[in-house]
Amino acid sequence: MKNFVLMLVFVWGSSLALGDVLIKDARLVKDNGETGDVRDLHIKDGRIVEIGVNLKGTEETVIFDAMERAVTAGLIDSATTIGLAEVSGLGVSYDGEVSGDDMAAGFQVALALNPASTLIPLASNDGITRGIVVPEPGDSNFAGQSASVRFVQGRNFLQREDNGLHLYLRERDRRYAGGSRARALSLAVDALEEAGRFDRQREAFDSNELRPFAIGLDDLETLLRVRSGAMPLVVHVDRAADIRNVVDAFTAFPDLRLILAGAAEAWKVTESLLAHDIPVLINGLDNLPQNFDRLGARLDQAYLLSSAGVRFALMSGSPYSEFRSLTQAAGVAVANGLAWEQALLAITAVPAEIWGLEGLGKIDRGAKADLVIWSGDPLEVSSAPIAVMVEGGWVNLETRQDRLAKRYLEVLNLETKD
Amino acid sequence: MKQLLIKKVILLLMLSSWVGEVLGDYESTYQAKAHKSFIIENAVIDVGEGQGPFLGWIAVSEGRIQALGSSNESKPEVAERLDASGLWLTPGIIDVHSHLGDYPSPSYRAHSDGNEATSPVTAEVWAEHSVWPQDPQFPLALAGGVTALQILPGSANLFGGRSVVLKNVWSRTVQGMKFPGAPYGLKMACGENPKRVYGSKSQSPATRMGNFAGYRKAWIDAQEYQKKWQRYERSLNEYVAWESTKSGSDYKTRPSPPKRNLQMETLVGVLEGEILVHNHCYRADEMAQIIDLSQEFNYQVTAFHHAVEAYKIGDLLAVNNVCAAMWADWWQFKLESFDGVKSNVPMVHAAGACAIVHSDSATGIQRLNQEAAKALAAGQRLGLSLSDSDALTWLTRNAAKALGILDQTGTLATGKMADLVLWSHPPMSVYARAQMVFIDGVKQFDREKGIGPVTDFELGQREEIF
Repeated sequence: MKNFVLMLVFVWGSSLALGDVLIKDARLVKDNGETGDVRDLHIKDGRIVEIGVNLKGTEETVIFDAMERAVTAGLIDSATTIGLAEVSGLGVSYDGEVSGDDMAAGFQVALALNPASTLIPLASNDGITRGIVVPEPGDSNFAGQSASVRFVQGRNFLQREDNGLHLYLRERDRRYAGGSRARALSLAVDALEEAGRFDRQREAFDSNELRPFAIGLDDLETLLRVRSGAMPLVVHVDRAADIRNVVDAFTAFPDLRLILAGAAEAWKVTESLLAHDIPVLINGLDNLPQNFDRLGARLDQAYLLSSAGVRFALMSGSPYSEFRSLTQAAGVAVANGLAWEQALLAITAVPAEIWGLEGLGKIDRGAKADLVIWSGDPLEVSSAPIAVMVEGGWVNLETRQDRLAKRYLEVLNLETKD
Repeated sequence: MKQLLIKKVILLLMLSSWVGEVLGDYESTYQAKAHKSFIIENAVIDVGEGQGPFLGWIAVSEGRIQALGSSNESKPEVAERLDASGLWLTPGIIDVHSHLGDYPSPSYRAHSDGNEATSPVTAEVWAEHSVWPQDPQFPLALAGGVTALQILPGSANLFGGRSVVLKNVWSRTVQGMKFPGAPYGLKMACGENPKRVYGSKSQSPATRMGNFAGYRKAWIDAQEYQKKWQRYERSLNEYVAWESTKSGSDYKTRPSPPKRNLQMETLVGVLEGEILVHNHCYRADEMAQIIDLSQEFNYQVTAFHHAVEAYKIGDLLAVNNVCAAMWADWWQFKLESFDGVKSNVPMVHAAGACAIVHSDSATGIQRLNQEAAKALAAGQRLGLSLSDSDALTWLTRNAAKALGILDQTGTLATGKMADLVLWSHPPMSVYARAQMVFIDGVKQFDREKGIGPVTDFELGQREEIF
């Protein structure tokens, strides 16, 4: 059986498949990662078409026996740099920020992405099937637009190039606005107002009857899409007072979809977030009071937000250099009070909903078949995926690191059980 | 090896008048508070020797482990009993690579005191002179079960300076945290960092060969300095001998000592075997050359730190008795870390070398047990034969060995310091949290009861947060 599984991985490779797969005996874990109903999942043309017991496929159906192992929806990381840098510390190899521009709203990281990155299978090995590739600020509080990606190597890597516009208003970001956070916020609001003026006078602008705008056309069009809610505004902000100001400032635009990221002190202002149903992306492991904006940083923030009813997703933050694992963040949240089921939702269904990723983050009839079959409790640091599917296709789990490890097992003649 | 040790002891005796005390070692004033005798019962105990856990008890007296045993063995009569049913007991976690206090939170430049990046050789600086004891990161590490930690200077320099080993206790002063009797370490660094920092200033080292030229020059200087003092010691001894008898014809004058050189004192401390070398080094080929360098100048490398490619040379580390202190899964942040594998730590262990999981991070230090668990699982997936108990040694016994404090702590054994952690779950689980942490038998942290140090910095602005 095992060999058959491995062969499958090889044959199907990493392209999205329009095949017909039946995953037998998948444990749909719920409360603690080990218990849950055992069901068969029938997958066709990239979607889950049926969930039940003793399902039978057709002659074309390929059977995969999950052997009652935990199966979850593919995880979604709301902050990654995979595809933007092979080696993050080599400045010359990093495409995630632009300098020399005091307004970078129009900048999209999507065009820079490397769909052949050797880092992609590492995400798969952590059970992550989707990611938001996020720009960092170069010289502007508006840093640019994130892309959403599928973690498959090749031409299907990029999913959406205009996933969200990122605005940075953390302590260190005030320097982009002359040195005060007050100005940074008011300039951001002004830019949205300016976009509105541009839209109202578009004809006059096109016929050269209007003074030029201080903001480039590309940026104005982007800001307009944010105003209309076509693309969310993601504000990276930490301090409680700033979060309140940001919520007040941007909820004044009735169609704008506001998302907060980082938000170390969000737990202090839950009533403001609840009043406007603002979702929050948090780094579950980062509890250090690294500056005066983050004095309230704490490890049980997920639990506190959950208790207050605030929608939140966990993100890995610095994904492929420090803490690789999104499940570790979720597990730590559970250790600090969050219900297990809520923790799983915070890395699957909730981020899917926040980012508008249709059909993702859940195991439902009709949902996209992004699935992970785990060796054990998905939130345990010792567990790992044994197979990962993205939209119905098995992905390659072998990494360059695996090749290195195997090479040196041989070179050093280390004894293994196999 | 033993003979070398004997030689060193003889040399030490010869030079005792100046190497007998470490000059400038501002003495530890650490003293554990009120010692009570107590016994912890019904815990699942792992003593940190890789032998697997057992259900048992541990008796503590005067801050030391008085005795320990399994549940069916008779225990001493002690009035104070702590029922640890459902909890797991391990030695305190020891982090061999930390910058707490030197790179504290908040992390403003005004506080950033970890790297004297002004010259490639700064063996004269001592990390303890930079430690801010009120860094709120110390209690966060305590909540992760860390009872002792080595604070190292940064890695910009070939010779970064002296490290200091601390007890993770609240204190007004760094002297009040210094681990009594722990040897000093010397931070050295290979690879990208020194050549980048100085190369960008159009100064040597600008290349890896420049790095090596820099190490060798410094060791040659240190040998010279050592000889100068040896000559002085000899003539002083001759003078003392002459003075006591005043025999012989020629009148002797008392020789005056050479001028002290702080940089050289530290390097000679290494050559004398008193100061342990902690060498930041990523690549396998560079580690192999550093081992040759240590043989050229006859000193011992105690541990390579970060050692992202240690899995390529586990055999070499084992035969040369060098530990590797590693992350579970950091990689990719620089070119020299690009070959990092998740099974690095277990592969080093399997090769018979001393493997350690370290943090180098104020975030990672809070979860070293999880980092070990990740590495363990990666090794098991690779087919290596490893247990939870093996992984615990990467955080306790092996770490203590690399810091030269294994005779005091690092395992649970009679007579050792009662540095203990009680965990809520098996320590290699993501759900495990330290419920209680004891240092020298004093309960420094109790999650349920809300007992734990609050730094001065946190008072009035963060005290509600553990």
